[in-house]
Amino acid sequence: MRCSTASVRLFLVLILGLILLPSVRASVASIPHGTVDLIAENQWIAPGHQSDLGLHFQLEQGWHIYWVNPGDSGQPPRAEWHLPTGLTVGDIAWPAPQRLGTPTIVDFGYDDAVMLLVPMRASAARSANQPAQLRAELRVLVCREICISGKAQISLVLPVRSVPPTPDARTRDLFAAARNSLPRAAPADWKFSVSDAKEAFVLTANLGRKVPQATFFPLEESRIDNSAPQKFIPLATGFRLTLLKSDQLLKPIRRLKGVLELSANQNYVIDAPVGNPSAARQRAGFRFLAK
Amino acid sequence: MKRSTVYWLIFVLAMLAAALPISAVKFGQPAPDFTGTASNGKTYHLADYRGKIVVLEWHNNGCPYTRKHYMSGNMQKLQKQWTARGVIWFTVLSSAPGKQGYMNASDENGYIAKMGAAPTAALLDPTGAIGHSYTAKTTPQMIIIDPQGIVIYDGAIDNRPTEDVKDIPGATNYVNLALEQALAGKPVETAATRPYGCSVKYPGSWF
Repeated sequence: MRCSTASVRLFLVLILGLILLPSVRASVASIPHGTVDLIAENQWIAPGHQSDLGLHFQLEQGWHIYWVNPGDSGQPPRAEWHLPTGLTVGDIAWPAPQRLGTPTIVDFGYDDAVMLLVPMRASAARSANQPAQLRAELRVLVCREICISGKAQISLVLPVRSVPPTPDARTRDLFAAARNSLPRAAPADWKFSVSDAKEAFVLTANLGRKVPQATFFPLEESRIDNSAPQKFIPLATGFRLTLLKSDQLLKPIRRLKGVLELSANQNYVIDAPVGNPSAARQRAGFRFLAK
Repeated sequence: MKRSTVYWLIFVLAMLAAALPISAVKFGQPAPDFTGTASNGKTYHLADYRGKIVVLEWHNNGCPYTRKHYMSGNMQKLQKQWTARGVIWFTVLSSAPGKQGYMNASDENGYIAKMGAAPTAALLDPTGAIGHSYTAKTTPQMIIIDPQGIVIYDGAIDNRPTEDVKDIPGATNYVNLALEQALAGKPVETAATRPYGCSVKYPGSWF
C-alpha cells in the first residue's frame, strides 16, 4: 500500500498528539508485599482550588502498615514531595486505625489496604498552560511477623485548567470510601473532660446517650500505655474510660488528643484538656498532623 | 472451710502474687534482677554488677532498625566506647526459636565477630523471660541501670526513628547523653522515650 503524504501527516499528528496531549497517568509502585498508587480526586488541577490526592496502599494478606501514631513498635509511612511551583500539599488525613499486635505489644495501623488522603492546593497564580507533574518519594515499613522497609517513587501528571475541577469517575469510589473511614469531628453537644488520676487518665464523655463500648487511640506517642486494658464504665449519658499512663510520660500534659472508637464505623476526633474538671467542648474541623 | 485450707490458699495466692511482675519497668524503679546465659557460654547475674552502670540493648539482627545501627557501625562504636569506660553492656536476644532474630550461641558468636561488635556479653533469652521482666517492646530498645540498680534510661537509641543510616550522624543519641550524665553523677535529662524498632519476637507472638 502506498502511503499518501496526507495520511503520513495525519499519522504524525496523531503520534505528536498522543505525546503532547496532557494525560492523567497514575503510577503504581511496588513496595514490600504490596503496591502503592498516587491518585487524584479530580481530573485536573484548577488554580486557586484545593482538592485531594490519595496514597492508595494495597498489601498482601496479613501485612500491615502503621497509623500516624504507630503504637508500641513500627513507624508510619512518610512522603517527601517534589511539586512544581504553585502547588503545595497539606498534612495527611489518616483513616481510623485498627488495633494490631499481641496482648503485650500493641500497635495501630492498617491491614491489607488503606488510602491516605493528602490535600493539595494550587495557587491562583499557577498558570494553566502546562500539565503538572507531582512526585513523591515514599518510605514505608510493611510488617507481618517481620518488618521490611520499602522505598517507592510515585508520580502523577495532571492537566492544569482554569475551570473548576471535575471529579474523576475512576477514583470516585476510592475517595468516598477513604473519606468515610476518616474519624469525624464529634457532635457539638458532646462534652469530654480528662482528669489526671496519677497512674492513669480518666476520660469522661457526655454524649447525651448510653453507648455499649468505647476505645481510645492516642494521637501522640508516649501518652498512654497502649497494651493496658481501657476500663469502660457506662454512665447514664455516656461513659468513663480509664487510660493507664505510658511509662514514657514523665511530665504532666495539658491536652489529650486521639480517636474515640464507639463502633467499627463510628470514630471521632477528640482533643480534651487534662485536669479541667468542667466539660470541654469538642472542636470541629480538626485535621491530623502528619509525622 | 477448714482453717488450714484457708492458710494454704493464702500461701498459694501470696506465692502467685510474688511471681507476677509488680508493674512495667519504669524510669526511677529498681531494675529486675536476672540470670542470663550468654553466647560465650558464661552465666551473668545482674546483681553482680552493683556499683557499675549497665546497658541492656535489645537486639534482632534482621530488623531494619537494628540493621541501621549495625550496618553503619554505630552500635559497635557505642559498645566499644562505653565498655572502655567501665560500663557493662549486655546485648539481649529475646526472639523465640524460629522467629526473626533468634540465634544459637555459635551463630551469635559468629555474628559478633563478623560485625565487630563489642558487648560485654550477648545474653540469649529465647523464652523472653528477661525481655518480659523489662517489658522490652522493640529492637533496638535501650535500658540503662545505675550503680545502685535503678533504671535511669529506658527507650530509643536516638531521636531519629527511621531505618536510614543517613539519619545517624545528625541524631541526638540518648544513650550517649544518659551515660555521660550518669558518669558525671548528674541526673539523666531525657530519661524515657518511645523506643523505635520492630516488635520483640516473643514466644507465641505472630506479630
